[in-house]
Amino acid sequence: MKKIISLIIVVCIFVISLNFTGCKNQVNYEKFTDYSFEYFDTVTTIIGYENSKSDFDKNCDKIKSLLEEYHKLYTIYNRYDGINNLCLINSVNDGKHSELTVDNKIIDMLSFAKEIYTLSDGRLNIAMGSVLSIWHNYRQDGLDNPENAELPKYDDLKEAYKHTDINNLIINENKSTVYISDPKMKLDVGAVAKGYAVEQIAQYMKKNGMDGYLLNVGGNVRSVGHRRDGEKWKVGIENPDTENIEKPYIEYLEIEDMSLVTSGSYQRFYTVNGKNYHHIIDPETLMPSDRYLSISVLCESSAYADALSTALFSMEYEKGYKLIESLENVEAMWVITDGQQKYSSKFKDFCTEK
Amino acid sequence: MLKSNKIKKVRNDIILVAIILSLSLIGFLIFKLTMKDGNHISVSINGKEKYSYSLSDSIETDIITGENGENTNTLVIKDCKAYIKSATCPDKICVGHRPISKDGETIVCLPHKIVISVTEEK
Repeated sequence: MKKIISLIIVVCIFVISLNFTGCKNQVNYEKFTDYSFEYFDTVTTIIGYENSKSDFDKNCDKIKSLLEEYHKLYTIYNRYDGINNLCLINSVNDGKHSELTVDNKIIDMLSFAKEIYTLSDGRLNIAMGSVLSIWHNYRQDGLDNPENAELPKYDDLKEAYKHTDINNLIINENKSTVYISDPKMKLDVGAVAKGYAVEQIAQYMKKNGMDGYLLNVGGNVRSVGHRRDGEKWKVGIENPDTENIEKPYIEYLEIEDMSLVTSGSYQRFYTVNGKNYHHIIDPETLMPSDRYLSISVLCESSAYADALSTALFSMEYEKGYKLIESLENVEAMWVITDGQQKYSSKFKDFCTEK
Repeated sequence: MLKSNKIKKVRNDIILVAIILSLSLIGFLIFKLTMKDGNHISVSINGKEKYSYSLSDSIETDIITGENGENTNTLVIKDCKAYIKSATCPDKICVGHRPISKDGETIVCLPHKIVISVTEEK
């Protein structure tokens, strides 16, 4: 009898100890996820570890109100009452208007875009709006009506390209005004604005103690602060070969208070005569850049990661590699059109097993 | 007298065993309830979770969206993987997406505002 009792006690202790290990990692914090579709024409995922859903929702509401504010300021597609946004800057640029007073958040973003223009030797140019809008319209028509999909006429692209000199964007930081001196020039901030906004929001979150969150705005991933369960975030870089079921991700990275942005040519495209034309346009050829399948940039600032991943797409690998190596704490991975992967010197330090 | 003491002892033993057994059973149940018991598929439409399935289910179901129910994405869960078999959206990115099965993986249909995600439920 005694033997049976001691055996049962052992079993009991064993079960109870299993019970403790079973919930060791989730003592206080629970993981919450929020999806929204209202900002920057893409899906936004907010993940956080909090004590309660109400704590998470409170922070989420703040993050989303900031996203909404930046979205309304930076969109080139919609006007909003009482907001002098990018769409208004483009539409009053008719030669009759003079400078427009805008929010500081626009001045700062445009100044950042000019900085990236210089840094990337013109490969990322927000003054390319007239060229990009031609491609945008043809792509949209091609998606709506695939049988009649067409390519833009090269002469139209060349004509539009005459009006893409970024020096005609005149920013007055003291007066907080913007003026475009070429009436046919349009701004397209698609490669800059989202990342810049995400970075400003991440900085706000850090200042206000919103630690351990992961923002993912349409593939623009920003981990903010340190996760409350002590773990790092694990993110996968998708295999551009989407048919390859065996290997869905080509790299797994562990990140903490970092941004990872991947620009890819394999997802957003339209098809003309059996050939795919994606959305990243090379300022030199005025055609979709065909060197890479995807480029990922890893650094703290989401603004740099976003802008650089697009800029690198229109750069020869050697030139892009040099640029990345010249920047401190910025790493990159290139997937060449033949599927080959190339890395900057310390990118692999962040890679992990799955 | 001796005999009845022995019976009492045995009875106490049985009670003790019963108590320990039920304690361990409760412990085991709590353990079962708090452990992660495999993956789920969550379907959210415009940010709100609408449907939840077990990844071990075998189903094929139409997710209907749009003001007049004009949009359809056909979700298939099979062999512990989930994917979109067909959809009426213009870009078909969700249909081209590889099947998902790991915690945190998602398939997004931007035009229809659908997120299919793998979650580990407690």
